[in-house]
Amino acid sequence: MSRNFVNFFCLLVVLCFSVGVVRAQVPTPMPVPVPVPDKKLPKDPKIKDPKIKTYPPPPGHDVPGVFEGDDDVTSEKSMVVDGNVAIKLCVAHGDLKINGWRRNEVRVFVQDGRQFKLKPLEKSAEGKVNWLSIGNFVEGRPGPGSECLAGSNIEIDAPVGANFDLSAEAAQTSVDSVKKIKVQTRRGMISLRNITGGIDAYTAQGDIIVENSSGAIEIVSTTGNIVAVEVSPGQVGDLFKARTNSGTVSLQRVDHRQIEANSISGSLLFEGKILTGGIYTFRSTAGSINLSIPEMSSCMIKATYGVGSFKYDIALKILTENITPSAKIVVGKIGAGDAKVSVSTDTGKIEIKKTVSKL
Amino acid sequence: MNVNGKCFEIGTIQAFLDGETTPEVSLRLTDHIAGCDACARLMADADEENAIVFSTLERELNTLVPTQRLWSRINETIEVEKANVPVWHKALAFIQASLLSPSFAAAAGIILMLGIFAVWNLRTGPSDIASDRTAPAPGPVKPTDANDPVVQTPTGGTTLVAGESKLPAKEVGKIVQQASARASQREIKPDTAEYRVPVNTAADDRYLPGEESYVKTISDLKQNVDSQKDSVMTPSSRVSYERDMAMVNDSIKRMREVVKKNPRNQAARQVLYSSYQDKIDLLNSVSQREELMASLR
Repeated sequence: MSRNFVNFFCLLVVLCFSVGVVRAQVPTPMPVPVPVPDKKLPKDPKIKDPKIKTYPPPPGHDVPGVFEGDDDVTSEKSMVVDGNVAIKLCVAHGDLKINGWRRNEVRVFVQDGRQFKLKPLEKSAEGKVNWLSIGNFVEGRPGPGSECLAGSNIEIDAPVGANFDLSAEAAQTSVDSVKKIKVQTRRGMISLRNITGGIDAYTAQGDIIVENSSGAIEIVSTTGNIVAVEVSPGQVGDLFKARTNSGTVSLQRVDHRQIEANSISGSLLFEGKILTGGIYTFRSTAGSINLSIPEMSSCMIKATYGVGSFKYDIALKILTENITPSAKIVVGKIGAGDAKVSVSTDTGKIEIKKTVSKL
Repeated sequence: MNVNGKCFEIGTIQAFLDGETTPEVSLRLTDHIAGCDACARLMADADEENAIVFSTLERELNTLVPTQRLWSRINETIEVEKANVPVWHKALAFIQASLLSPSFAAAAGIILMLGIFAVWNLRTGPSDIASDRTAPAPGPVKPTDANDPVVQTPTGGTTLVAGESKLPAKEVGKIVQQASARASQREIKPDTAEYRVPVNTAADDRYLPGEESYVKTISDLKQNVDSQKDSVMTPSSRVSYERDMAMVNDSIKRMREVVKKNPRNQAARQVLYSSYQDKIDLLNSVSQREELMASLR
């Protein structure tokens, strides 16, 4: 009797255990989630519905500084200045030519343009003007860029020791034989020659050409090409920097020991010496990079590239190679490896070859 | 020497000394020893040997032989341990003992099989219920590009893409976290309980090592540039800009996938970071243009 009772009791226990396991597997019915507005909660960050953007009229139709009733006069003015005068001006439109001469005098010629004035901002102890502003200083003239020069042709002669600070809306700018220049233009090509004390040039749309110049040089173009020929540093440590988004950077005989050249979709060309102790960085996202250097160069070369390629016809001793299907790093040495050359591209090609002509 | 020869054997004497002889033998032995010098001497020698042996083994004999108190302590401990055995141990022992019965084991096995079968059947049904339950909750959006960081809002109703918001991604992330914190402080009652998609508080986990600063810088710049590029750039410049941006984004996306798969790929990582820098430069070029326009006004 007691044995039967024990068996029955154990059977009951196992049955209860089984039912418990089954119930644990069945999900408990949960309330259907209904969004309940809760005032305590902060509102969700609003996300704007995508709308069709209405673009404003393309800029450039109304050139700042161009007004009805512009004087359309041809005029010329001059002023005696210090040999190292700093000149500040802006140009609304026109072809601008700046030329250095060996006189301590500034001469400004405007053809078919606005009236203008030479406004001394500061004088030296000797009474010579060492800071000069050139512009259209008519009182009460409204509108943007009203103080800028404008004309079909604008010519400025200034001492060879002059420093220029120039901004322009739309101008073809040519500068020759001055000491130092900072130029920014929104549209138009910039040509700089024989600048001895350094260059800072920027154009949003247009090419920049630098020849026979020295000093610290920074050249930036958004959509144009950059060409630098026969450029050297003014003093130890001067940097040469060239950057463009969609243009080509071409550097020939650039003797700076620190060079940075970048382009996103354009190519980079370098032809010149790799100087001892120099640091050279060339980077293009989608363009090719071509270096023409003397066979007897001494540098370490680090080539980083993605799906592109790396070719060389120079005595490059490969030190390390990190090659994967998607990206590669090749480190090699030419000669004693005194300088550092970093070449990087993603989809472009890298090519290093011997200089054909004697530099 | 034996009892018949008037003297007792040494074994009998030894037994007498150990207290193992019967009273009759002990009486006759003592009567004999009182009149027999040889047996008296023999008994004295045996007694002396016993004294030496017991004195030597006294310590060990006292240790090895448990005392009554020790026995009582052992018994008490056993009783306590018995009392402290868990109930399920007793039940398990009981079941084990019961399962020795073949009929009972067979019955339990059948019930167990029926239970498993019932579980299997029920599992196929509730999946629909579960899917219905989770259907209203939006799935977390996986970012397709590090440049477009995605943040899950606490209510789970909307997905905020940082690039589309007017706020910087960092601030959006803060707002989301604050909202999550406030929501967690609410008292949740059964009638107000609702399903909540967990907030992605570990947004930083999406970044590859060293990538975060680039992404944040780009996010900040992009917001600034996106609001200006229509007015700053000419159509031709705009086309060039968008083309270059597409190239850089493509490069970033491609290299990011590679680095994500193999974080030790130094080459891909360098190309990735260079592409990020290119993107920053590209965005900066628009800002630079805008600054120039502002200076000309």
